[in-house]
Amino acid sequence: MIVDTFAMVGDSLFGPSTTPEELLDVMAEAKIDRALVCPARPPSYDLVPANEALAAAVQANAERLVGFARVDPNVSGAAAQARHAIGELGLSGIFLHPWEETFRISGPSVNTVVDVARDADVPVLVAAGYPWLSEGLQVGELAGRFPTVRFIATNGGQINVSGLGQIDVELAMERCPNLYLQTAGVYREDFLENVVERFGADRLLFSSGFPSTDPRLEVQRPRSMHVDDATKAAVLGGNAVAMLGLN
Amino acid sequence: MIVDAHLHVDNVPALGWNMEAALCIDRMDEAGIDKGIIMTIVDAPAVNPEGIGLIADACAQYPDRLWAFARVHPWYGARSAELLEQAFELGFKGLKLHPVSTIAHPSGEDTLRLMRIAVAHNAPTLFHCGDEPMTTPLAVAAAAEVIPEAPVILGHMGGYFHVDEAIEVAERVPNLILETSAMPYPAKIREAVERIGADRVMYGSDGPVCSPRLEVEKVRLAGLSVEDERLVLADNALGLIQNVKRG
Repeated sequence: MIVDTFAMVGDSLFGPSTTPEELLDVMAEAKIDRALVCPARPPSYDLVPANEALAAAVQANAERLVGFARVDPNVSGAAAQARHAIGELGLSGIFLHPWEETFRISGPSVNTVVDVARDADVPVLVAAGYPWLSEGLQVGELAGRFPTVRFIATNGGQINVSGLGQIDVELAMERCPNLYLQTAGVYREDFLENVVERFGADRLLFSSGFPSTDPRLEVQRPRSMHVDDATKAAVLGGNAVAMLGLN
Repeated sequence: MIVDAHLHVDNVPALGWNMEAALCIDRMDEAGIDKGIIMTIVDAPAVNPEGIGLIADACAQYPDRLWAFARVHPWYGARSAELLEQAFELGFKGLKLHPVSTIAHPSGEDTLRLMRIAVAHNAPTLFHCGDEPMTTPLAVAAAAEVIPEAPVILGHMGGYFHVDEAIEVAERVPNLILETSAMPYPAKIREAVERIGADRVMYGSDGPVCSPRLEVEKVRLAGLSVEDERLVLADNALGLIQNVKRG
């Protein structure tokens, strides 16, 4: 099974707006079986209806989609929104985007939201690698503060076309066994291979980053790694199945 | 035919990186690439005074497969210029500059001096062009505008967040060429072709540790015409280096 552990759908303030149907179409083209999907940042800035719409889409496509709630820790009632999304809406985790919502991932504002994830035993997906707000070591700080919560960092934890953030991410991975990395758009396949070698294949998860990055290309990124087939299978889907409790 | 315009051969013990010519050839063969342009990771004479010789030796091992660019640190005055001249005497085909490692601004006189030597040999200059200060498309364009007769290649065409800027500035500055390596958006390759012309977009991988196979697939996913794809994958690189003079 191939599981894409990060795609966004919905009307987007920042990038292309996409629908769940468009995601499902590209999944079919790329032969991706299931996807973890989060709301895009809506032009209204209001994540409550965005999460509700996502939950409805997930319910309508339960065999294909798993949903994470997007929460902005800056807003009043963020923790309550997170509880509602996990409880009443049935979403399976929390998505934090420090760059688009403008907060430092290692700052105190996220604590009450991550408390909800800890209490519900659901993962937290972090849009990682953004300068000043979600750098590798900053994500590591948060992961260290909440050792029982599974944190998943997009973009391999760092976004830099010189690979400058990779050592920081490796430090964070070493310190935090509860930190996992995704593959979308990552610079250098040997970085991904090194993550597998140093920290284990179970710490790396395939993602497409749809719609910013192209699932048809990104699904090939784990396949381009020079690792054995069992590792590729784990990265492409086995790890997500285990983490998300997928059938 | 496919020509990879951006590959590395080097041994950098401090980083634990050993990229041999044989690895480049292996990855090229995996991807169906006929010829490649190699350069060091570090700058001569700064970290490795023997960098030019290292690349020359690598090319001598595979004379039918590899060409060379000289990666030179601009700050060493006459020594930098001498090294570059020696490189061209040895048959090198271009100059590589990396402001992240050199912190030499593209528009600085030290850099421009080396670029003028390249121009005198009918050779292009390839810049690392990403999201880091001194490497952004506007920073590199500042050099290209000072020497309008210099073919200036934006390696990685702006990285992750400066790709739109790379396309915009290439529309305005006609001696800029966009090189596709590492930048993860196939759609932006197509957009670049549509906006500035296929003759100014060029395939590179940043291999061998960025997967040349994945990077070729990225160009194919751009959905270019057969003619445009041929330009991007081979003819543009061949055109840039075919008239380079030794003396």
